[in-house]
Amino acid sequence: MVDRTLEIDRVSKRYAHVQALQELSFAVRPGELFGFVGPNGAGKTTTMRIVLGVLAADAGEVRWGGQPLTFASRTRIGYMPEERGLYPSMGVTEQLVYLAELHGMRVRDARAATARWLERLGLGDRGGEQLQKLSQGNQQRVQLAAALLFSPDVLVLDEPFSGLDPVAVDVMSDVLREQADAGISVLFSSHQLELVEQLCDRVGIIRAGSMLAAGSVEELRSGSAPRYWVDAPMAAAGWAETVPGAAVVRVEGSRTLVELPATTGDQVLLQAALATGPVREFRRDTPTLSELFRTVITEETAA
Amino acid sequence: MSGAAPEHAALSPRRAVYLIARREFATRIRGKVFIIGTIVAVALLALYAVLQLAVIDRINTTTTFKVGFSGPATALAQPLEAAAPSLGFKVHVSDVATETEGRSEVRSGSIDALVEGAPGAPLVVVKTGIDPTLQGALVALAKQEVLSGDLSAAGLSPTAVESQVNAVSVSLDTLQPATAAQLQGPIIGFVMAFALYIFISIYGGVIGQGVVSEKASRVVEILLSTVRPGQLLLGKVVGIGLVGLIQLGIIALCGLLFTVPTGVLALPGAAIGAVLIGVMWFVLGFILYALMLAATASLVSRVEEVSSATVPVTMLLVVTWLLAYVVAIPAIDAVTGGGAVPHGLATLTAVLSLIPPFTPVLMSIRMAAGEVPLWQGLLSVVLVLASIVGVTWLGARIYANSILRFGARIKLTDALRRSS
Repeated sequence: MVDRTLEIDRVSKRYAHVQALQELSFAVRPGELFGFVGPNGAGKTTTMRIVLGVLAADAGEVRWGGQPLTFASRTRIGYMPEERGLYPSMGVTEQLVYLAELHGMRVRDARAATARWLERLGLGDRGGEQLQKLSQGNQQRVQLAAALLFSPDVLVLDEPFSGLDPVAVDVMSDVLREQADAGISVLFSSHQLELVEQLCDRVGIIRAGSMLAAGSVEELRSGSAPRYWVDAPMAAAGWAETVPGAAVVRVEGSRTLVELPATTGDQVLLQAALATGPVREFRRDTPTLSELFRTVITEETAA
Repeated sequence: MSGAAPEHAALSPRRAVYLIARREFATRIRGKVFIIGTIVAVALLALYAVLQLAVIDRINTTTTFKVGFSGPATALAQPLEAAAPSLGFKVHVSDVATETEGRSEVRSGSIDALVEGAPGAPLVVVKTGIDPTLQGALVALAKQEVLSGDLSAAGLSPTAVESQVNAVSVSLDTLQPATAAQLQGPIIGFVMAFALYIFISIYGGVIGQGVVSEKASRVVEILLSTVRPGQLLLGKVVGIGLVGLIQLGIIALCGLLFTVPTGVLALPGAAIGAVLIGVMWFVLGFILYALMLAATASLVSRVEEVSSATVPVTMLLVVTWLLAYVVAIPAIDAVTGGGAVPHGLATLTAVLSLIPPFTPVLMSIRMAAGEVPLWQGLLSVVLVLASIVGVTWLGARIYANSILRFGARIKLTDALRRSS
């Protein structure tokens, strides 16, 4: 089977006064859900627009299956832009069929796919209506259908979850998972980090146009210094500082979150804790993606 | 879902343009501009035809004068009857026994005028005033009466002199005989040029609005992920242009249906050539201006800003129309009127009509009048085609560089730069 990896290779883009992307590189493997996170203005939308050929990169290359993306191969990418947009006064079915045809589908296939996706997204009976007559959430579903109905090989979705109600979030999650399981490379951006953590196979954290970290959430965790929750009710403040290299991250009541350098063993910390009296809890902390994100972003800012 | 993925044909540029044009066509043909515009235009034409009919009817119903004659003046009755048809009125003559009776008939209105006295110096009695035509006829007849008397007195036969006088005429040597096409041509050229101006203004506006509303609704980003900006631009121009042409065709056809029977405008075979040339200039002129309008419209993000963004192009169109009115039409009037054309005017018209933005309107006027040398005609078509290619390239560039930049209006110089 041909390699169907989407590779973004040292892509740079400069706007008039801003370096939007600085040699950004990452890859989305087939069958993978890749979550793209980063603060506003980090370059997520610019990256996606370059992948779609809507913007031209100043330097670098986007490849799919080892080949640079061409205009023809780009039509195989399903795209959901950050700024949602379809024709407001055009019928739902009519414009979906039109968009599918623009992606090279024959009209009969386009009609069948439109009917199938509207049904799947719970809009089976709304096809005849004008888009603007639909609720915001339903318009978003139509937008998703527009990205999916021509059976793309790659999905690029800019903030697909923003503005969705919880039910719609579930529908969207299911559809994305299903697409990835079918072997499609899915790249999406989101600010909802819990959702990304739960859904994605791999995550890329981007800031100021550069990829700070990329990998599975596990891998990202392993890259950070280990942290431990210690509940030692009798301990005096500053007890942990006796341990070489240990740093107190946070204190919550009798509980203390301590970060240890990789060189210091966790048993040293435990012994220091026991020396203060009883220990009710001693647990390795698994940081959430949000915490990892904050750590990575602030570390970089400090650096 | 992707297991049974249907086969995908790569989208050819032609199919892309076709699909875009088809959508524009399908949308616009159901749109307000088309439906209401057509209905209003056809209604106006119908109204115009009805009014024309009324006017023509009035002209055709010639007035009848009732004229009474009394005494020696009765000699004028027969000549007046004879002269009436050629003067464009009918006359009903009657003998009136006495002057008093005649005057009372005039007063009561049963006759329009009473003619009495000597035929050479008649007295005409009317109630309030006399129709100038009738008065002129009576004066001429009285003069002739005097002349006949004098001729007889001089021993000449009045009839012989009259026939001799009538035989005199001016011989006409027409150096450039006007054909039917030449007589109809300027009118057709003028009408087509005016229609082109209106057409570009309306449908060019529709294109500008279309470009910006796609930009405002952000749908353009999805479109540009699968078609090139140039294809999108061209598809819009073709689709909307076709709707415009169909509307124009309907209006023209209704116009013919209404006017031909009334005889307001006859369309001889020779004039069809002028119409075909006009249609060609229509298509070329529309494409040229529509591309410029679409490109300039893409500089702004809100529909309300379209008209200000496209001002340079609409001004160009207005200038073209002014040139047509001030330069080309007088020059052609002079030609077809048989008069001498001021040399400078003819040259100016010829030069202006070869400058691409002016060409469609000016050439359709000149060609309809049939005064364009073949080389000028061919050159103008080549120049316009070349400028369409240039404007497509330039327009696509402006469009591509502007269409994804939202917010404030983009400077033209920025839009033309290679990298956005």
